[in-house]
Amino acid sequence: MKRTALVLTAVLLLSACGSGEPADDRVKLEFFQFKPEAIETFDRIIERFEAAHPGIDVTQNHSPVAESAIRARLVKNDIPDVIALNGNGVFGELASAGVFYDFAAMPGAAGVSPPIQRILDDLGVYRRGERNGLPFSSNASGVIYNKDLFRRHGVEVPTTWSQLVAAAETFRGAGVDPFYVTLADAWTTLPTFNALAANLSPPDFFTRREAGRTTFAEAYPPVAARLGELFGYGQRDRFSRTYDDGNQAFAKGEAAMYLQGSFALPAISGFEPDFDIGTFALPAGEDPSATRLVSGVDVALTMAREPEHPEESLAFVEHLMSPEVMAAYAEEQQAVPPTVDAVSDDPALAGLMPYFERGRLTGYADHHIPLTVPLEQFLQQYVIDGDQAGLLRRLDSEWDKVAARRS
Amino acid sequence: MTTARTFYWMVIPALVLFLIFHTLPVLQGFYYSLTDYPGYGAYEFVGFRNYASLFQDDRILDAYLFTFQFAVVATVLTNAIALAIALGLNARIRFRTTLRGIFFIPNVLAILIVGYIFNYLFANSLPAIAEALGITALSTNILVNPDLAWLGIVLVATWQAVAFNIIIYLAGLQTIPGDVREAATVDGAGSWRQFRSIVFPLIAPFFTINMVLSLKTFLQVFDHIVALTNGGPGTATTSVSLLIYTGGLEGGEYAYQTANAVVYFLVIVAVSVFQLRVLQRREMSA
Amino acid sequence: MVHKGVNWWLTALLAACSLTVLVPLYFTVVTALKKPAELAGAGFDLPDDPQWGNFAEAWRLTDYPQAALNSALVTVGAVLLTLLTNSLVAYAIARNLERRLFRGLYFYFVSALFVPFPIIMLPVIKQTSALGLDNQLGLIFLYAVYGLAFNIFLYVGYIKSIPRSLEEAARTDGASTWTVFWKVIFPLLAPMNATVGILTFLWAWNDFLLPLVVLSSPSARTLPLVQYVFQNQFNTDYTTAFASYLMALAPALLVYVFAQRWVISGVLRGAIK
Repeated sequence: MKRTALVLTAVLLLSACGSGEPADDRVKLEFFQFKPEAIETFDRIIERFEAAHPGIDVTQNHSPVAESAIRARLVKNDIPDVIALNGNGVFGELASAGVFYDFAAMPGAAGVSPPIQRILDDLGVYRRGERNGLPFSSNASGVIYNKDLFRRHGVEVPTTWSQLVAAAETFRGAGVDPFYVTLADAWTTLPTFNALAANLSPPDFFTRREAGRTTFAEAYPPVAARLGELFGYGQRDRFSRTYDDGNQAFAKGEAAMYLQGSFALPAISGFEPDFDIGTFALPAGEDPSATRLVSGVDVALTMAREPEHPEESLAFVEHLMSPEVMAAYAEEQQAVPPTVDAVSDDPALAGLMPYFERGRLTGYADHHIPLTVPLEQFLQQYVIDGDQAGLLRRLDSEWDKVAARRS
Repeated sequence: MTTARTFYWMVIPALVLFLIFHTLPVLQGFYYSLTDYPGYGAYEFVGFRNYASLFQDDRILDAYLFTFQFAVVATVLTNAIALAIALGLNARIRFRTTLRGIFFIPNVLAILIVGYIFNYLFANSLPAIAEALGITALSTNILVNPDLAWLGIVLVATWQAVAFNIIIYLAGLQTIPGDVREAATVDGAGSWRQFRSIVFPLIAPFFTINMVLSLKTFLQVFDHIVALTNGGPGTATTSVSLLIYTGGLEGGEYAYQTANAVVYFLVIVAVSVFQLRVLQRREMSA
Repeated sequence: MVHKGVNWWLTALLAACSLTVLVPLYFTVVTALKKPAELAGAGFDLPDDPQWGNFAEAWRLTDYPQAALNSALVTVGAVLLTLLTNSLVAYAIARNLERRLFRGLYFYFVSALFVPFPIIMLPVIKQTSALGLDNQLGLIFLYAVYGLAFNIFLYVGYIKSIPRSLEEAARTDGASTWTVFWKVIFPLLAPMNATVGILTFLWAWNDFLLPLVVLSSPSARTLPLVQYVFQNQFNTDYTTAFASYLMALAPALLVYVFAQRWVISGVLRGAIK
């Protein structure tokens, strides 16, 4: 029996202490990223980097539950060398906690458009003047549409809310589902919520909400009402379909429009649609010239505050941030590079480019709402039960509770 | 004397490991619940503020209500079904071993994966069947209906838990002496009375342990929900464990949710003690 | 022999009930063998042309051999370590229950049954990582330590029923307490070891939360964790997903099919004590 125990211990120790790889004196970097659809793109980028830097070995680690994975790694005090995360509220919270590197002194990020850098900085930094992340690619949230169906039913791209509703009615009348809605994934309510919030609520809403001078109940009824109205034009099984189902169904031509961000385009293209895809900014109001496009940092790069291999990690970040790499990534992933004057010549993005060119952009409203407020779950519930007063009341009460807990 | 010392040496290593990996984390967890620690970075001591906030948080209350509703219904269903099947398996039937073997299968399967399979069944197969049969009430996915989703979770939880409880009840039925068992065979007239007055009192201790353990397990439901609804639609099926995990690790309010976990611990202990008291008194009087 | 008293109605009823177990399993198998295009409708029909390639795809995508090896290593390690240590501790406690210290220890260990995991989750994550145990070895330790609570309860009940005269006879022959345990008691514990072994096996093999929070390296992931991680990557490729589920369930199912009587009698014994 004792011998069994000894053998067992030996086996365990051996298996735990390394898989017997040959000695390798290259510096090993872990690159943690959150986009499963970009694994291959990043593999190619890494390959090119390793060819130019024979002393560095970069391993890509992707997690579909990236945000909880990165938190768990922080709890373990085991931070990946280079990190790519979505530029959202979680990113801001982690940056404010002082766990990310300060890139303020790094010259390589010079090509990045200052307003886009500011969007990222505004999410949160550890100390004033720090720069805890670099924008690697931008996205935009609007409406993706099926050009074939629009042409066949004689529908023009809507530029006002009433045209959008009229378009939906036309499709419904013709037996075509106006929107493919994927409520099984609660977060898929957010792109629409953000577009409506950016265009229909007062621009200083969140500052005034923090000061207690306004409430969701006061300022958000139009946002909630139009959100409910649009989602009501979804297909019959909209409550039980997931984001993945949606990408596939839209690619198969099962609906005329899809309320998603540009980040859904690569997934849709992956299902090889046999029609042309277009995009337009969600027209929330009646004045086309007032419509602004919601855009954010899709991929933000950062490193551990005290990196284990500072030189090598910085070299990899600089490689990623070089204009060629950013452009190549944006092309493959149907994104917009965050550089000054950058445009995308992807035909699917053509409808959004004027907003980029004229700077008619705005940020994501949900990034201002604390993460512990289950915004997406509340929106999902509202779209299912239609209780608008309940939604706004819950948002206000959660906001107040969180503020009280954190005061 | 040396024997006594040897006994100490037998327990000390395990005791040390248990202290390090269980008791110390419990104390650390309790300590963190008195801070505003998000799990990393700097933090401050805030006394019992988290606990005070807990009692004003309707989301916490909602999670408790859902968890208790789920756990009580699942416990009752699991035990009723398991007891019925165990009685059936213990009666004069053919293929007893095969049937017993089949009924135990769910217990060897990972709940998470079972949940994924049922998730697909609820989303696609059941609506298709309901539609073919013309049952409109069931022709949509019940997991996305805020009023019905919890029943889907009850169904999967019961499906899985019945397997183990059948075996415990069978064990109980086997302790009944042969002649009594003969008299108590369920087939034939007046079997319900035979069961009530002869069989049930004899297996009451097994009933007690099953009820206590089932309720305790169901109160901590987590895997099922991750696989089936992830707490939704809305927050309709957010159990206390799921709320502690998502709010604490994903929402960045680790300390606050740990305070919730401490309260939760006290609730589980209180419920278990209460249950043991009540059920054991019934055993005595039965 | 004529089965005169056989209740055929009840047999049929139970057989019908057993379909609730078999139908979802059947569904998993047929779905894993279909082409995506065959998925429409209720999905209980047989595949036209079994797609064995789904398994190859799932095997490759999830790196099945690695995950299965991790699960096997953790499970076997946890079972062996649990049997060797927990029985020993239980023996020392069971033979000294009249002493306050040991009785206190008994209640101390068993009371851990009621501590919800979330309380200790974050400290355990920190601890295992600081000690370099955020891997398969760490999981083995944790299962053996956390299992103590319930296993002590099972073992102590069983050991109390073993007459002390056996040990005393061995001891008069000059055997030490250790020898008495390994040579006399441990073999006598075989039935309870089977019970504890089975329960530990099922726990470690099917567990999800502990691997989720403890393991750091993607190459250390166990089978249930891999299903969770790949849930997004399966996309709408449900046939591959089901092939992957089936492969994750298969090892435990196969072990069970071959050791069915033994497993059930083991659990039965645990219940009777």
